Amino acid sequence: MSYGKKDEDADTGLVKVDRTQVFQKARLFNSSPIQPRRCRALLTEIALLLYTGEKFPTKEATTLFFGISKLFQNKDASLRQMVHLVIKELASSAEDIIMVTSTIMKDTGGSTDAIYRPNAIRALCRIIDATTVQSIERVMKTAIVDKNPSVASAALVSSYHLLPIAKDVVRRWQSETQEAAASNKSSGGFSLGFSSSSSNLPVNNSTMTQYHAIGLLYQMRMHDRMALVKMVQQFGAAGAVKNPAAITMLVRLAAQLAEEDPQLKRPMMALLDGWLRHKSEMVNFEAAKAICDMRDVTDAEVSQAVSVLQLFLTSPRAVTKFAALRILHNFASFRPQAVNMCNQDIEALISNSNRSIATFAITTLLKTGNETSVDRLMKQISGFMSEITDEFKITIVEAIRTLCLKFPSKQAGMLRFLSGILRDEGGYEFKRAVVESIFDLIKFVPDSKGDALAHLCEFIEDCEFTKLAVRILHLLGLEGPQTSQPTKYIRYIYNRVVLENAIVRAAAVTALAKFGVGQKDPEVKQSVEVLLTRCLDDVDDEVRDRAALNLRLMKEEDETATRLVKNDNLFALSYFEQQLVMYVTSDDKSTFQAPFDIAKIPVVTREQADAEDKTKKLTATIPSLKPARAGPTKAAPSGAEAVASASVAAQKHAHELMQIPEMNEFGSVLKSSPLVELTEAETEYVVTVVKHIFKKHVVLQYEVKNTLPATVLENVSVVAAPSDDEELEELFIIQAEKLETDIPGKVYVAFRKLNGGASLPVSTFTNVLKFTSKEIDPTSDEPEEEGYDDEYEVAEFDLTGSDYVVPIFAGNFAHIWEQVGAMGEEAEETLQLSSVKSIADATEQLAKTLSLQPLEGTDVPVSQTTHTLKLLGKTVNGGRVVANIRMAYSHKSGVTTKITVRSEEEGVAALVVGSVA
Amino acid sequence: MAAGLFRKVYDWLLRTFWATEMDVTMIGLQNAGKTSLLRVLSGGEFTLDSIPTVGFNMKRVQRGHVTLKCWDLGGQPRFRIMWERYCRGVNAIVFIVDIADIALLPMAREELHALMEHENLEGIPLLVLGNKSDLPDKLSVDELIDAMDLKNIAHREVSCYGISAKEETNLDAVLQWLLKFANR
Repeated sequence: MSYGKKDEDADTGLVKVDRTQVFQKARLFNSSPIQPRRCRALLTEIALLLYTGEKFPTKEATTLFFGISKLFQNKDASLRQMVHLVIKELASSAEDIIMVTSTIMKDTGGSTDAIYRPNAIRALCRIIDATTVQSIERVMKTAIVDKNPSVASAALVSSYHLLPIAKDVVRRWQSETQEAAASNKSSGGFSLGFSSSSSNLPVNNSTMTQYHAIGLLYQMRMHDRMALVKMVQQFGAAGAVKNPAAITMLVRLAAQLAEEDPQLKRPMMALLDGWLRHKSEMVNFEAAKAICDMRDVTDAEVSQAVSVLQLFLTSPRAVTKFAALRILHNFASFRPQAVNMCNQDIEALISNSNRSIATFAITTLLKTGNETSVDRLMKQISGFMSEITDEFKITIVEAIRTLCLKFPSKQAGMLRFLSGILRDEGGYEFKRAVVESIFDLIKFVPDSKGDALAHLCEFIEDCEFTKLAVRILHLLGLEGPQTSQPTKYIRYIYNRVVLENAIVRAAAVTALAKFGVGQKDPEVKQSVEVLLTRCLDDVDDEVRDRAALNLRLMKEEDETATRLVKNDNLFALSYFEQQLVMYVTSDDKSTFQAPFDIAKIPVVTREQADAEDKTKKLTATIPSLKPARAGPTKAAPSGAEAVASASVAAQKHAHELMQIPEMNEFGSVLKSSPLVELTEAETEYVVTVVKHIFKKHVVLQYEVKNTLPATVLENVSVVAAPSDDEELEELFIIQAEKLETDIPGKVYVAFRKLNGGASLPVSTFTNVLKFTSKEIDPTSDEPEEEGYDDEYEVAEFDLTGSDYVVPIFAGNFAHIWEQVGAMGEEAEETLQLSSVKSIADATEQLAKTLSLQPLEGTDVPVSQTTHTLKLLGKTVNGGRVVANIRMAYSHKSGVTTKITVRSEEEGVAALVVGSVA
Repeated sequence: MAAGLFRKVYDWLLRTFWATEMDVTMIGLQNAGKTSLLRVLSGGEFTLDSIPTVGFNMKRVQRGHVTLKCWDLGGQPRFRIMWERYCRGVNAIVFIVDIADIALLPMAREELHALMEHENLEGIPLLVLGNKSDLPDKLSVDELIDAMDLKNIAHREVSCYGISAKEETNLDAVLQWLLKFANR
């Protein structure tokens, strides 16, 4: 163990111990005969120094060490214990520690009731080195199965420490460890008592040995999944293991196994369910947490866990309540409806005198509750906001931020609350959380814009955080000019120029310029010019430079200046980042001969970026709350990860396609569909397809993986036949030359739109894989000369209207709905989705299938029975598509939906509706 | 009860006024027979297949009112540098030589002389034991004295005996020699 840092705060008032003094006194060890009592006191002082972080220099440590070794084999058992204890701690800093091996080994054996045996074992594993581990093998094996739990635990924990230095030797102790884990000794307390003679040894009846043994077994079998499964099942059986800590470890292990291998999910879930009814609370909590944390857990699977936690909510002990509430809180972030049933019990906790419990209770309710309860809860929080720490405040702000997006109609109350706490005392992190929540309100809830901006203006008047001031000024620059009264904001911004530090002044100048450039109102333009001219006298270079540049831009007549200052396009940031990382970390020197080409990075409009951002924010609570698991997890990504990875994937596709010379003339990709699986994942050949839409072309990108061992596929192509060949004409196929086992390859099939760029052909494709299959000669590892041609039919897929649509975001749905309705066309369809089990599922699936962005918070259904979903997007040609979907849920017939789609372009509405049917 | 108390008092008096404890360090190249000798001295059985000592062993040998604390140090090269540390301040050093392994004698001589040159160890009596006298091809005591160049070790009392730990020959002489230094 290392006590790395010296404990500065340790209460030294009680005992004054000085390192040099102790070292001087250590001569006592060499005196003859040995005085056990005095030596013990001195050893205790050394131990105290070591445990409070004091470090002896190597030379002193070595001298002490050899001094202490003179005390070995004393008749006084407690002195022996102390000797082992101090030797163990000195082992890391002294030299030549190997000297004491034989002597310590002697103390590890002997009579079972010798009190110093566990200490000797623990010291032994610290002084041994890899080459001598073998010589203690017999000692350790007997100690592991010793009937004294203290000895067995010491041996097991020591084996833990020995594993890294002598893996192979320790692995041979498996059967002993197994025996130790299975032995059910009678229960009792865990004792570490010291006593002055070995005769009245305190009786240790603890079952903690089982915990240590199972921990060691896991370390040994970590890389063998089957062995782990067997272990969990063997020890997980009722009554096999008594120790709650040991079972808790099994719970974690079971959860991990279920996560890694879907095949194991069912048996592991059964075990976890059983543990929910275990008599130890510790085990119940761990099992409930594991179930709640499981990916893709169904409502039925989780209900048991939630009701167990619900029972704990009424426990008289605060810690139990807190633990239960914390698990529910985390779970509510992504599955609020499952926690609904506990609402009543949680309500009772919001006025709990323990503030930690109350905070969690309220934030949980904010997540699970409905619109009506929000106001009441907000009032409750305001009551004790000042009594809790910043971390809890941030938790609350985060909860409210998600809530704003969920219930836009409640924005007024929330904004009042946010601006209220913005005025309170608080650190940077807390203020940042509040400001970002207000930013989100401005961005996604247009009704709140005016008030929110006013609150921000007020905040920067007295803002101690430069970073926040700069961000707010930037936002004022973006939003201010579009408001009805831009002059109001100009005053606030200019105040900053007068009163703040250089960084804020520079930001304020840039923000001011946004009001001036392209300003139609001559009066406003004139005042901005005056203000900017004053800034030319600033003491700071950056401020002057910015003022000069912007003054010049304001005088430009053409659009260039406006485009520069009010740039609404962004680079696709996630892809940009990925490309930069790839560039910087490239191993190939030739990469650096050419500078990084920023032109390759796709540009997205602000609307698209917002749409993506919002989806991410609403789902962001999921991954951030799930602890990052060590080791590779292959499970499907969820929530924001999926969103992020999908956009990165799409941009990656775009980049790959650009590399293919035949497709250069097609221009850039307008839309790439998500991945469609055409086969089951376990078949011989795994095929997926991505549909890329170009202006005048459609490219199907098939990814084919050959899973048959010892075969090679050559000249792989896909015959893709559209059901309707009047609109699409096949141009060419790019084959995959060679597919080795488990290495995926790509096949591209390109089609031309016969009716030109504006047409949006829909069709069903049948796909046949064609290839030459060759077996690999096992002797030479080369494929055989002769192969045979083969075909393999995979599932059909549709090219639908939604493949031509991308989601975009806008604040006001009704306005666009009327606008599009006035000049475009409308299509309608009523559907019975009997397979869909809830409104929430239907909402999610429809938005995804239609490839449209939910607006006005309609992606979160409020009622369980009826819901109206409002969607917006645009086609690859730029025409807007709006959809209004009304749905009703009944137990018998599933979800009934009425979809109305309006589009600016002709024919699009029907196409989009068609993609659902 | 009273008898027990009396016994305790008697033991304590004996320990305090008459009992003596002395430290003896036993060194020598590996496989010279240090651990075996110590085992036999402390009343144990001789065994042929003992494992090499990692570091050191400590055993007490009781003779009358004298307790000999014997430090049996490992003879492998990696432990030899630590001999000196355990020889400091002891009552006697016992150096054990395998007299049936003539090839190793020069190395034993070098190690012994190197150790005796340390200033810290000046004046500490040295007893050189030629072990394994039961084996056929062995040196005599005089030959051993020459081979180890014992005449050139100054400033201390030096003695040399031939012994056999296996057959327990001459062990009494060894103890008698050691006990001479008990009260110094």
